[in-house]
Amino acid sequence: MKPRRTWWKTAVGLVLTAIMLFPVYWMINVSLTRTGDMRADPPHWFPWAPTFEGYADVFSDQLPALGTSILVGLGCVALTLLISAPAGFALAQLRPRGAGALGFLLLVAQMIPSVVMAMGFYAIYVRLGWLNTVWGLIIADSTIAVPFGVLLFTAFMAGIPRELTQAAKVDGAGTWRTFRSVVLPVSRNSVLTVSLFAFLWAWSDFIFASTLDRNGDQIPITLGIYAYIGNNTTQWNSIMATAVVASVPAAVLLVVAQRYVAGGVTAGAVKD
Amino acid sequence: MKRLPKPARAQLIRWGAAGSAIVIVTALAACSSSDDDGGDNTEASNDTYTWWDPYPQHDDASDWAQRVAACGDEAGVTIERTAYDTTALTNQALLSAQEGTAPDIILLDNPAVSTLADTGMLTTMEEFGFDTSAIDENLLAAGVVDGDAYGIPIGANTLAIYYNQQVLDAAGVDPASITDWASLTAALQQVTGAGHKGITFAAIGTEEGSFQFLPWFWGAGADLRDLDSAEAVEALGLWTGWLEAGYAPNSVITNSQNTTWEEFLTGEFAFAVNGTWQVNSAAEAGFPTGIVQIPGVGGGAAPTPTGGEFITAPVQDDEARYDVTTQIVECMTTPEGLVETANTFAYYIPPTAEGQDALLAENESLQPWVDAVRTAKGRTSDDLGTDYPLISEALWTAVQNALSGSMSPEDALAEAQANAESATE
Amino acid sequence: MPSTVNGAPVVVGAAAPATTRSAPPRRRRMSSTRWAALAFLAPLLAYLAIFYAYPLYRNVELSLHDYTPRAFVQGNAEFLGLANYADVIASSTFGPALRNTALFTLVSIVAQYAIGLALAVFFHHHFRLSGLLRAMFLVPWLLPLIVSASTWSWMLNSENGIVNSVLEAFGIGQINWLTSPDSALWSVIVANIWLGIPFNLVILYAGLQNISGDLYEAAALDGANAWQRFWRVTFPLLRPVSAITLLLGLIYTLKVVDVIWIMTTGGPGHASLTLAVWSYREAFGTGQPDFSPAAAVGNLLIVIALAAGFVYLYLQRREERS
Repeated sequence: MKPRRTWWKTAVGLVLTAIMLFPVYWMINVSLTRTGDMRADPPHWFPWAPTFEGYADVFSDQLPALGTSILVGLGCVALTLLISAPAGFALAQLRPRGAGALGFLLLVAQMIPSVVMAMGFYAIYVRLGWLNTVWGLIIADSTIAVPFGVLLFTAFMAGIPRELTQAAKVDGAGTWRTFRSVVLPVSRNSVLTVSLFAFLWAWSDFIFASTLDRNGDQIPITLGIYAYIGNNTTQWNSIMATAVVASVPAAVLLVVAQRYVAGGVTAGAVKD
Repeated sequence: MKRLPKPARAQLIRWGAAGSAIVIVTALAACSSSDDDGGDNTEASNDTYTWWDPYPQHDDASDWAQRVAACGDEAGVTIERTAYDTTALTNQALLSAQEGTAPDIILLDNPAVSTLADTGMLTTMEEFGFDTSAIDENLLAAGVVDGDAYGIPIGANTLAIYYNQQVLDAAGVDPASITDWASLTAALQQVTGAGHKGITFAAIGTEEGSFQFLPWFWGAGADLRDLDSAEAVEALGLWTGWLEAGYAPNSVITNSQNTTWEEFLTGEFAFAVNGTWQVNSAAEAGFPTGIVQIPGVGGGAAPTPTGGEFITAPVQDDEARYDVTTQIVECMTTPEGLVETANTFAYYIPPTAEGQDALLAENESLQPWVDAVRTAKGRTSDDLGTDYPLISEALWTAVQNALSGSMSPEDALAEAQANAESATE
Repeated sequence: MPSTVNGAPVVVGAAAPATTRSAPPRRRRMSSTRWAALAFLAPLLAYLAIFYAYPLYRNVELSLHDYTPRAFVQGNAEFLGLANYADVIASSTFGPALRNTALFTLVSIVAQYAIGLALAVFFHHHFRLSGLLRAMFLVPWLLPLIVSASTWSWMLNSENGIVNSVLEAFGIGQINWLTSPDSALWSVIVANIWLGIPFNLVILYAGLQNISGDLYEAAALDGANAWQRFWRVTFPLLRPVSAITLLLGLIYTLKVVDVIWIMTTGGPGHASLTLAVWSYREAFGTGQPDFSPAAAVGNLLIVIALAAGFVYLYLQRREERS
């Protein structure tokens, strides 16, 4: 395919993205609208008389929380990969007995309401003195992603041809080396996908943070937002501005990570 | 298909090894801790007192936090304050009471007091050694269960009707003419006839919806034990009629009180039902505003529900802590202290006559609000106690069903009464 | 759809190496493999035992007792057996909530999957800016739910929402998206679909990348057009990933609370109340936490998810046998 012929795809892509991101535009619009105009009828398409109060609030209050959220997100990615990648490999390639039962357990695990999970963690953490710690929050947040990670790794690694792993065996590699040097490298896509989700779930978690990390020195951004939601008042400018500012570093991280990992994978796929 | 591993991948593996170590440590820690059976409340040392409140909007640098800290200093201790949002606070209080790690002081939304008192996790003010005789009886009532007070209001707020002077002037409506339901509806007809929007209120499917409906419900003479009385139907009929006539927007069904206020601030609405807490915001609106009391059906002011937080003291294993806690509570509830609280929260009306006088001396214009609070009524009063939340849920569901047109007010309230009865039996 | 797969002999032949496995020589290596598997699973098993066993036990225990707030604090709840379940099922709310849950879940996951797959295929054709635009599609997911759900209710407001304002410009009268019992459920479904598209796009896109480009070339040589290539190569080879996407989508959608709670609180009345929202409302939506019925509803949801899991497992077995 020649580049000339793809311009219309770019155009379609732009239109689709615009539709998809309209609510995001609306959020930005609200973040800049003065309180008196927020519920105007008809609504203002564009903040003609913008206010930057919300952004001022965010930059003065929320930057540490942003850092904490990124730290928790990355920690959660690491922990999730560590636990779920080997498990997915075992379930998909080594096929131990009881794999079906384990799969069910993972399904059930994901269905436990997060509030109940949070209560359980609270009981455990009170005894360990782990409340209000970042690593405690990382471990709790990873429970959202681990079952998902195992199921996804299993689904993807089951697609790896046996020939590949057999070849490694013939070359004299043990199971660990096979996993490390053959399976993991070809599973880049699933590693990326699981990492992405682990990060995003940790990033957006509210319930665990609210139960386990409420009065720590480091609170994540989802709790930071609650500084703007009072009993009887809601500072929409600041809330929306927080969401906008918070999504920037996370978006950059996503794009960079995606570039880095997807680079090698796509080279062999469909040629442009 | 085969790709060479990159350094990053090797790093990932090393990370992996570290991670399993973490898991194992976790496992060991979990095991060892079950031996000594926890329960050791490490956080509550002798000179640190814990304080929870539902004001996350006031951060550590705020006037409110400074006041709390100052009361700690006065009692010679450090107060560790944590702010939760209202829903999370009740939940967290139950959880901590279960684990034996309850804080020394909790500021609770008033309907939650009877719920938590019922669990036995709060001390009565008598045990705790605090004299409640100065507190207005109608305000204290929300914290009274079986004759015992379980907390003290740090201030109270309630509802009234805010009006937009500009809109009323343009439509030729005199706010003083609004004395009963008929005159209010007539005023709404006049402003909407003049091309303005009528009234906005909150009928959301949460406690806020019941909170806003209660003045009309009580103002019609209805009783919360009897949700399907003719009076109750009349009150719900009033709201439904407004929606049908276009005097109130359809969006009230999902409006919270905040949203209602944002709608009012556009300057398009003649009236909005809202609370004491908007006094400052109303003064800063781009148009002159005023308030009238919510009228009863045949005239006079309708009883409005009280809002606001109670200061409560959870039961502690170490009763010696109560002495200091009492000092902190006293510091927060001196007349000056109450006025300061009132100003911080724009506005909480002090719950004592002395405090109210002190507030009025500072700010005369609050007189209508002080009057409103004096005639206000606690939601859990009338011996409803822990039944109130169940009845309230039935009530707001009925309001939603009627306003959205899926049921007539009669049917909606009849269903509500049946549900409330089966829930509270 | 399976017939389409069988109707493409050339392609299936080409695809064979990627999907079918040589018969596992199980018996011989049994013991060493088993130990290896156990070693690889050990972190997961430990993790499950530590962090899930207690909450799961707790949820069952809550549902079998009468946990009023008082009993919750004092730990002396009365044992009720299955009475909470009986109450829940007999409740007049159960029928509508079950219907809403079914509608909400099925419409959401089908739409999310279809749109996600279409987008994944679209972005799989590399064009200028495709990487950037694909990443932009993930932005909705970076927003805290309270923000995105509030934004949707803002846009769908009856009087001052942007959606009605646009419709009005086209001469369509006011639609009460969130406040009419007829449309409230559909409105929250639309918002939920929007939220779920990034998830489906990411997984399905990753699935597409795992399909070897050679297969498409073979199919192209065979004279298959783009449409045929999709149905004969892409779709069949994507089946394991699709199955897991739908299964996970089902589980996550069954659990959705925040979006509905923020947009409609399950109302008006019970018009958009799902089982998960009901459970939340019982536990936290009123001033009186009722943990036991909430846990019973939660456990019913677990049973529903398990049933879906069985279906998944059955289909997977059948696939493996064929």
